[in-house]
Order: sequence, then structure tokens, then C-alpha cells
Amino acid sequence: MKATAIHDRYAAGSAIDPSLRHRRREHVLMLLLMSPAVLVVFALLLVPLSWLIVQSVYADGAFSLEHYQRIFTEGIYWNTFYLTFRISVIVTLLALLMGYPIAYAASILPKRWAMLILALVILPFWTSVLVRAYAWLILLQRSGVVNQTLMASGITDEPLALMHNELGTIIATVHILLPFMVLPLYATMQKIPQDLVQAGSSLGGSPLHVFMRVFFPLSLSGVMAGMTLVFVLCLGFYITPELVGGGRTVMASMLVSRNIQLYSDWGAASAVSVVLLICVLIIFYVVSRLVPLEKILGAK
Amino acid sequence: MTKLSLGRFVFIGYVVLVLLFLILPVLIVLPMSFSDSRFLSFPPSSFSFRWYEAFFGSPGWMAAARTSLIVAFATALIATPIGVAAAYAINCSTHRLMRYLKIVLLLPLIVPIIIVATGVFFIYALSGMLYTIPGLIMADVMLALPYVITAVTAGLHGFDQTQEMVARSLGMNRFRSFMTVTLPQIMPSVVTGAIFAFIQALDETMVALFISGGQNQTLTVRMFTALRDEIDPTIAAISTLLTATSFALVMLMVMARQRSPA
Amino acid sequence: MKQTHGLKTLMGTSVVVVGAMGMSHAMAAGQITFVSQGGAYQEAQTVAILDPVAEALGITIHQESAPDAWPMIRTQGTTGQAVWDVVDTPPLNCVRGGNQELIEPLDFSRVPNAESMPEEYKTPYSVAYEFYSSVLAYNPDAFDGNPPETWEDFWNVEEFPGNRALRNHPLGTLEAALLADGVAAEELYPLDVDRAFEKLEELKPHISTWWTSGGQSAQLLYDGEVDMLMMWNGRVSAIMDEGANADFTYNEGILQNTHLCIIKGAPNLDTAIEFVNAAIDPQYQANLPLHIDYGPGNPAAFDTGKIPDERARELPSYPDNAERQVLMSYEWWSSSEGEQAERRWLEFMQQ
Repeated sequence: MKATAIHDRYAAGSAIDPSLRHRRREHVLMLLLMSPAVLVVFALLLVPLSWLIVQSVYADGAFSLEHYQRIFTEGIYWNTFYLTFRISVIVTLLALLMGYPIAYAASILPKRWAMLILALVILPFWTSVLVRAYAWLILLQRSGVVNQTLMASGITDEPLALMHNELGTIIATVHILLPFMVLPLYATMQKIPQDLVQAGSSLGGSPLHVFMRVFFPLSLSGVMAGMTLVFVLCLGFYITPELVGGGRTVMASMLVSRNIQLYSDWGAASAVSVVLLICVLIIFYVVSRLVPLEKILGAK
Repeated sequence: MTKLSLGRFVFIGYVVLVLLFLILPVLIVLPMSFSDSRFLSFPPSSFSFRWYEAFFGSPGWMAAARTSLIVAFATALIATPIGVAAAYAINCSTHRLMRYLKIVLLLPLIVPIIIVATGVFFIYALSGMLYTIPGLIMADVMLALPYVITAVTAGLHGFDQTQEMVARSLGMNRFRSFMTVTLPQIMPSVVTGAIFAFIQALDETMVALFISGGQNQTLTVRMFTALRDEIDPTIAAISTLLTATSFALVMLMVMARQRSPA
Repeated sequence: MKQTHGLKTLMGTSVVVVGAMGMSHAMAAGQITFVSQGGAYQEAQTVAILDPVAEALGITIHQESAPDAWPMIRTQGTTGQAVWDVVDTPPLNCVRGGNQELIEPLDFSRVPNAESMPEEYKTPYSVAYEFYSSVLAYNPDAFDGNPPETWEDFWNVEEFPGNRALRNHPLGTLEAALLADGVAAEELYPLDVDRAFEKLEELKPHISTWWTSGGQSAQLLYDGEVDMLMMWNGRVSAIMDEGANADFTYNEGILQNTHLCIIKGAPNLDTAIEFVNAAIDPQYQANLPLHIDYGPGNPAAFDTGKIPDERARELPSYPDNAERQVLMSYEWWSSSEGEQAERRWLEFMQQ
């Protein structure tokens, strides 16, 4: 009570006499408080990014689009980008198919069950990506648990090639990115008022009908956020394809690292980076018109 | 009615399957870490502490673990105050420039990590910071900032600004009023931010692959090379320890949250 | 008040921590960072050579592994920020690294142990360390008494069905492809790169894994992930000792060696040279075959009497075995043609 009173007086005071100097001082102070954080990001991210962009349009000391031309004409770059996008689309769709039902279950079940489901989603989230690559190697190898189970149950006679290829990469990547789908979905669904759904069914709609007409449209912003996050993260994936891709699942990020480490070809690496970055920024820009940026990144 | 319960049955079965998919790979590492064999055969034919001994007995692994812990602690110590200051400024100011700066601070999350790694590698190669601990710490501070800022901003949203103003009107300077009034109340979110920063630095692999090496190799980089070169269950032993650490920290975070007044 | 103090301490400590780490980085005497290729091979040489040398010289040897050391050699050389000292790697990397000023020229006046070694075991930048062979290894259970014996068999998917693996690297792989295509061993070099890639293209759909490290190749055979593959002979015998269903033939193996060389601007240059000299000491070199099926780089090791005759017969560089193999030409691989072939590999992998 007291605090509010003082606040009112304070607010009233400043409203009557908006001291310009005070406000300016306030701005300077706030910018000063921001400055260490901004400085770090500036020095370690913005400066090198600008350098990458410059580097990508330079060849032999002159302006040139040679590196970009190579991306669009040389098979190896083209194939890599195609593969990267294909894997990202598949992973995003799989993550949605698997993530939506769990998020839905967590949002409608009693609190205790919801907590359990979320805990099961979050535990792998806090487990190193490296560890999970190792786990998938154990599970998916030719004589691994999955193949043994499949053969014992008679689903297949021969062990399937589940690892060291694109399929293995997709499975392991979906596993790693699934929490990034579930968390924003759950955050959205949780806010959908239950009485709205109940109202729908009391009006005589079948559960499926109510779900499709009431619940699903309301959860769309979560779907957008989750899909964006998963897709964008997948575009830049490196560790999983490198470890479980069997050497032939070369994604865009691997092309960047190889160009730098194997050939010191900064021009080619920069051009690939810039194309990747532009894709990501466009996606974020488009989606941020529909869903606030903080909401997308909140789960990360 | 039967149709409904059948649908429900299928739905529950599907959810359980997906949850198994999520959790099995994490759990399978535990028995593997006690395996007696050096290869991937599961289930292990016999059990031993061989791989824990291999980890704790190896100077290389120990040095890597020390590097990672130093980097993670230092990252949390540096990123937290910087992040709290930035979050406070974001929360207080309405200046238009702030909005842009805020997006700049979120950039480490938006830019694909491989590009971040390339850029940091380039800057460090120029400035002689490659393969140094301060270099690793600064890179991790940058990557941790968005987490700290997001966590603390959330905490500040739930905090009544007027309390701090009261303190200032009672004659305290701004810094002291923040320290004595605001900070204790947003402490749970600050702790959350610090833990996020710590875990992210402990877990970071991609950037470290480019900028850590020699005697300042991080645990994750050593794990990456081991996974590529050896694939023996030492990884499982370390994994188990790492997961346990992360889990304990998350529990700590949950407790910090629960103690906070709403 | 208390919090203020706490924050100051926090920030103070972090500055101290950062500062202290910078210091410990600069500190460097009586130690080197040695890089090899990991797995059973690195374990064997730790016992055979590294530990005794460290003790004899009173130095600390920090070990790292890199199955393909070239990227790191390049990075450290071009940025001038070396963290490695001595690298155990194919002479190809030493020579082209030396030509590009990424590797220190080796001061042989300080490596007396190299004096008695044959000239072809030395380059201006490096000295031979060990011999190994890329051989055709297989799981005997999968072939019922009729295992593949040549690269031609390896390419013959009808008569020898099964999962196959090759190394994700052109070195040795191109040689095998040409041998499979009927090129005579003595006419192998210079390699007909086009023909080799064509032949590889033919087998590509049947390769289930392209391995990147010796450890991974061992894993593939041990776990039954593949039925036959090209791998390093010491890695096969290591898993055979562990009880795996595995065997190999020296027939048409690609005989290779690794050299020791020193990174340009190595932080512990002096100790590094001392180490190189000690590491090729016949006494320590003779220990290596006792722990893994690799031949010593210094032939004088055979005169120490440490290597029993029956052991020597199992080594890839033993004359009877060497006769059945092809000696890899690092000269060709370090030529511009060789470098072109290596660049072409990535492209091949993606199509």
C-alpha cells in the first residue's frame, strides 16, 4: 500500500517535471549497463560476421562473386545444400509428429503426469549431444539392440542398415531436437483455456471435431515456434552427422569446417556460411512477424 | 464409448512410445559405463569399473575435465553479472536503441553455431587467443549471455520496480538499492541464469572444436575425438558423470525456483 | 552490503582465474605434446616407447590423437599458434607441411640415432617411426572357409556378398581400387586417378561405412557391423587378441609408414628434438612389435635381440610379408597430382 502511494507520488512528480537531463542520464546509465554484454557479442560475433561477408565476395584481392557462383554450379555444394535442407525438413516434420502428441498429453493430463512427461523430455535435453550420439551407435548398429529386437520379433530377417548413413543421422537428430519442439508447444497449449474446449464439446462437437476446430488452431503459434527452432537448428547441425553419418552425410556446416580446416579456403567457407546465415535470418524474420522472437527462443 | 477408449488407448500407447524413444538412449549409457568390454556390444557380458578407472586414472582426461570445469566456473562468474546488468537495463529502459541492442544480444542463439565457431576462430587466430583458456571463457560468455539475460529478464518482469524506487527515495544510491532490494528478490532467476551459463559452457562442443587444443582441450572436444577415434565405454562413464552433474544442477535450479515467493 | 561484497569477490575471483590460466599456458619446460592416431596403436606405443622415453629424459609427454593430423598441422602452422610439438603421421604430411613451412626442418645433427637408418627412411623434415599395412581384413564366419584374398575379391560382390567398409580417405584406397582393376603392383605409380575413382564408384553402393579412424575400423569388424574391410593390420590383430572373429591377409596389403615431425614454431622445440631422437632409439623401437603388430621404423631394432624371430615374421615389414604387399609412394602423394586426388575425394564421397 505504502509502496504504491510513494510510487504514485514519484510517478506524478516525474510526470509534472520531466527533467530532460535526468532522462538523458538514465539512458546513458542503461547503455553503460548494457555495454559489457554488447561489447562481447560485438567483438566475437558481429566483427567476424562482417569479415566473413566481406571475405565471401573477395577473390584474389578483388571483388568477385566467384565463391557464390561455385555454390550454385559445383555439384558438391549444391548436393550439400540439398541434403541439408532435405534432412532439416524431414527432421522438422518427424519432430512435429512426435512432439505434438506428447505436448498435448502433458497439457491435458493432471499436473503430476504432466510433470513426469516434461521431466522425460528435459532429461535428454540436459544430456550432452556427444553422449547421445554414442548411445545411438549402441542402439542402431548392425548387431545393436534395435536390430536384435526387430529380428527376434520377425519383422526383418536381415539386420537393417540404421547407422552410418542418412537414416541414422535423422534418427539421432530428431532425438536431439525433439525437446525444442515439445517445450514451445507445451508452453502454448498450457495457455489454451480448458473451458473453451469444454464449451466446444458441450455444444455437441465430437472430441476430434473440437480438437480440430478449437484446440489445434489455438496451438498454431506454438507449432510455428517449435518448427522454426528445430528447422533452423538442424540447418546448422554438425556433431551428429559427423559422428553417425558414416562419412557420406555431408551437411552444410561440415562443408564450412572442411573448407577451413582442410583447405584453408576462407572464401568458399565464408560464402557457404553467408548463404546459411541468410536462410536462417529470412526464416526468423518471416516467423517473427507471426510469433514474437522471444517466444521462439524462449525454449532454447 | 468403446471407440473413444480405443482412440485413447492408441494415443496413450503412441505417447509412451515417443517418451521411450526420448529416454532410452539416455538410460542405455548407464549400464554401458559399467561394461567390461571395450566394444559396443549391448547388453554388456560382464560388469566392471574399468572405464571409470580409465577416466579418473588418465592424466589426459583429467586435464580435460579440469579445463572444462575452470572454463564453466569462470563463464558463470563473468556471464552472470554482465547478463544481469544487461537484463536490468533492458527491463528499465524504453529507448528505441535498446530494442535493437536486445536483438543483438540474442544473436548468439540465432546464428548457426558453425558460423559462430568460424568467426571466433578467425578473431582468435588474428589475436593469438587460439587454444587459450581466456579465449574459451570469452567465447562461452558470449554463448551464455542470451540464457542469463532471458532468465533474469523473466525474473525482473515478476518484480515490482517500485520497491527499488522506494529504497532510492529513502536515500540509497541506485547500486545499493539494486543490491539490497532488487537482487535478493530476483535471486532465483539469477541462480537459474548462472546455472544455465555453467551447463552451456560445460556442454559446448562446436566452438571448442575450433578454438581449444593442446593442453587446453576441453572435455567435450576430447570426448568428440574419442568418439571418432576410439568409441570405448570411457565415454559412457563420463556421460554418466556429466548427466548426473547436469541433473543435480537442474534439481538445484528447481529448488531455487520453488523457494522464491511465486 | 553483504551482496555487494559478494559480487566484488565474484568478479575479483574471475579475473584471478582468467589471469592464472594465461600464466599456466605460457609455462613450458621439460614437456611436449605428442600426437598420434589413437586406439590400440597409441596404447601400444605408450607402453613401448613414450613412457620409457619420458622417464629416460625426465619429461612429461601430453598425448593427443588425430587420425588425420593434416587439418590441425595446417591451422597451427598458418596461424602461427602451435600447441602441438611432435606429430606421428604419414611422411606425406611432414613433407608437404615442410614445403609449406608448417613443419620445422629436422636438425639431424641432433638426431644421432637416425645416422644408421637408410636414407629412404628420412626426409628433410622427418624420420621413420613405424611400419604398418592397410590390409584386407574379414570376419571368417561370414565366408565359410573361402574368404576374400585380393582386392579383386573385395570388389566382387556376387561371389563375396557381405557388408564392406573402406577408409574415408584416398590414401591406400585408390591403390586398392587399381589393384582390383587389374593394375600390376609394380606399375601402380603414378596412380591413374580417373581409373581408380571409376572403380571405386562401382563398389560405392556396396560400402556400408566409410571409416575415419583406426578405432572405428576395429569397432566395425569386432561388432560385426561389416564382414570385410580395409584396415590397418595392427588393429585387426588387436581385436583378434580380444577374441573377435577376425582375420586378415598381407596379400596386396599397402605397406605404409609414419614419420615423426615437429610443428613449425612448436612451443617446446628443444625438448621435441630430444624426444624424436630418443623415440627412434633401437632399444625403444624394438619394444613396439612386442605390443602391436607394427614394424619398427629404425631397422637397427632387429639387431637388439629383443624381437623374437617368430614375432618378426608377423610384422608387415618382414621380407616375406613385404614381398606380397605394395609399398606406398609418398613421393607421388605429395606431388601436385597426389594433392589433386586428395581434393577430389570429398566430391566423390558426396555423389
